[in-house]
Amino acid sequence: MKTLLTCLLLLISFTSAHGATRVGKDKLNVVATVPDLAWFAEQIGGDRVTVTSLAKGTENLHSLSVRPRTIVTISKADVLLEMGLSLESTWLPELVLTARNRKINPGEPGRVICSSGWSALDVPTSFSREGGDVHPDGNPHFALSPLAGPTIARNVLTGLILNDPKGELVYQKRFDDLSRRLDKSARHWARYQALFAEATCCKKAVVYHMEFDYLLAFLGLETEIAIEPKPGVPPTPNHLAKVISAMRGESIPVILTAAWSKNKQVTMVATKTDAQVLELPTMVSGADWASDWFALIDGSLERIRIGYGLPELVEEPVLGEEPH
Amino acid sequence: MALKPKVYAAHLSMRCSSLHKKQHAHFRASESMNPRTLSRAVPGRYILPFLIGGLFASVSLGQTPGMPQSGSQSTRFDNDFNPAIGMVLDLAGTFVDAESSAADGFELSLRSTELSFSSWVDPTAWAYANVVFAKDEIALEEGAVHYVGFEGNTTLRAGRFFVDFGKQMQAHMHALRTFDRPAVLRAFLGSELGGDGMQYDSWTTAGEATIVRWSLGAFNSLVTESDAELPSESAFRPSLSELALTARLTGYADVSESSTLQIGASMRYLPDFEIHDEANDVKAIGLSNTVFGLDATWGWLDDTNTKGWTAGMEWLAMKGDMYGESLDLGGGNFAVTPINDSAMGYYVFVDRVMDKSNSAGVQFSSVELPQAGMPRLGEFDAYFTHKPTEFQRLRYGLTLSESEGQEEARLSVQYTLFLGPHAHGVQF
Repeated sequence: MKTLLTCLLLLISFTSAHGATRVGKDKLNVVATVPDLAWFAEQIGGDRVTVTSLAKGTENLHSLSVRPRTIVTISKADVLLEMGLSLESTWLPELVLTARNRKINPGEPGRVICSSGWSALDVPTSFSREGGDVHPDGNPHFALSPLAGPTIARNVLTGLILNDPKGELVYQKRFDDLSRRLDKSARHWARYQALFAEATCCKKAVVYHMEFDYLLAFLGLETEIAIEPKPGVPPTPNHLAKVISAMRGESIPVILTAAWSKNKQVTMVATKTDAQVLELPTMVSGADWASDWFALIDGSLERIRIGYGLPELVEEPVLGEEPH
Repeated sequence: MALKPKVYAAHLSMRCSSLHKKQHAHFRASESMNPRTLSRAVPGRYILPFLIGGLFASVSLGQTPGMPQSGSQSTRFDNDFNPAIGMVLDLAGTFVDAESSAADGFELSLRSTELSFSSWVDPTAWAYANVVFAKDEIALEEGAVHYVGFEGNTTLRAGRFFVDFGKQMQAHMHALRTFDRPAVLRAFLGSELGGDGMQYDSWTTAGEATIVRWSLGAFNSLVTESDAELPSESAFRPSLSELALTARLTGYADVSESSTLQIGASMRYLPDFEIHDEANDVKAIGLSNTVFGLDATWGWLDDTNTKGWTAGMEWLAMKGDMYGESLDLGGGNFAVTPINDSAMGYYVFVDRVMDKSNSAGVQFSSVELPQAGMPRLGEFDAYFTHKPTEFQRLRYGLTLSESEGQEEARLSVQYTLFLGPHAHGVQF
């Protein structure tokens, strides 16, 4: 037992010494919970930052699995970019607690909430699990809104400057450049709005989960019914019958799902209503074509247009990410 | 009030059939947990805030020198800064078909109700407590503070908590993958094993995708569910060499884009316990034993993180004083002879997660029971788990067990509800 206790003391000494050392580095180590935020950080941070995303882009973010690589990554972060609106609430707090990186504790400058200043949809008026897996701050999938770019970019810029004041000029310049591209894309995406506004046929939508609310709201599409009766609650046979009836009544041609929710209930409803299942990514890198945030929004809008059978937009100058 | 290590001996003499009558661990409630004592204590807790009249609790004008000083909140009805409170209800229905067992037949029961509290105490420490009601008893199963104010990744935990041994022993029964803990863990360590003590815990990285964690725990006593049924005794103050010890070393690594592997080694050392033959009032004293364990778990998840496979195993060996045999010395004299031996056991399992709501798995455990003759117990489990939502879980299970030619089958339905936050101090 004496040997064991000696080992204990040695381990304590080793660990304390290990924790006290800090490796110097010249780049700001930015960790983002999702690839969308990582992309914005790369656009604004440029060569002054190294950026890592915890999610690959294909996961159901409500239940992201924490892996060893995730813990290692976050333990070394100078800045943590999170979506907020409690999107990451089931896994991020425990992860930060485990990673023991004080720079990114809540309230520290290294913790950047990228939804700050965003007006969320679906904010509950009362908090009860009767409403399913309710997010108390509203629908957290705001990065799928074509209007979200400026808010995310502004929060990322603020976070980078706060943690690396010497890089302010670089960050500001790159932010200005990104803002110009966001403005240009916004004008292009507004044409989809106009297209859907003019079409009399397409005013209703059906989804599995409520992650596409911002995208649909942008297009003026109202969610007629969700296959989940309440967020996070799988459908019952009775509810599926209601969905089928509603889709037939409104002649809704598509069901929007994410990769994780493209399940047998969705397929069954689509078969019975002759609708098309439109699987869309919920994050950057969630599909081959969604390699950056412009491509994610561009591709999603275009696929919804095709799903509803609306005419193609007249060709315009090439948009999207421009080389630096 | 703590339990003396000697009471540990009780669980070593468990019968084979008793392995199927699982229940939560019941630590003996200390004086301060007694419901009667609580009812006496409550008025005092409310009078004090009244006296301080909304000022800082520790600088009350109403408190004269010598009066108790309170560190609680400053206002009587303010709900701010209260701990997160949650509850778990674990209900079970079982049907047992046994060749010879009192457990034969149906049983519907509320296995346990757990009330949990957790909160940050200050920027460097957080604490939690789990009070469990089971079998008409109330018990504080865990109540500990985690100090995280050290540089690096070191955590110091103090209080009452479950041991860090293998992949399962930190978890409460309601949190397991299966209806019960595997037979080998129940036989060598108990259904739940915790104690009053301290634990040093730390981890470090090894490359970009591997973490290595180790812990060392020292406990005043380690008691299992059976032990708590014995009478409590006056506080026991062990010397350093009489502390029960635990240790664990584990590595956790990404082995591909989609899969992880965790391997670990654990130890539990129990010194200076007694085996008490209550019928003849004789005992063997100064006994000790050690349990060693090795574990490996591989996990795979698809790109959506909603489908996956998990496979794992734990192998355990117990060495030292394992059980006692009563000897009739004649003339009405008896003695207990401790049997110093070794025993081994293991469990293996495979789980399949079909989607975010459904999973299924099989598990097999085999163990040499630490009792006379050291019979082998084999136990096979098949289970299907359905989570209608995040906050409820329905599990169907079939358990087939066999020992010394006696077979037993159990069908179980378990329904577990999670109300509010659910927190334990579990480390990976």
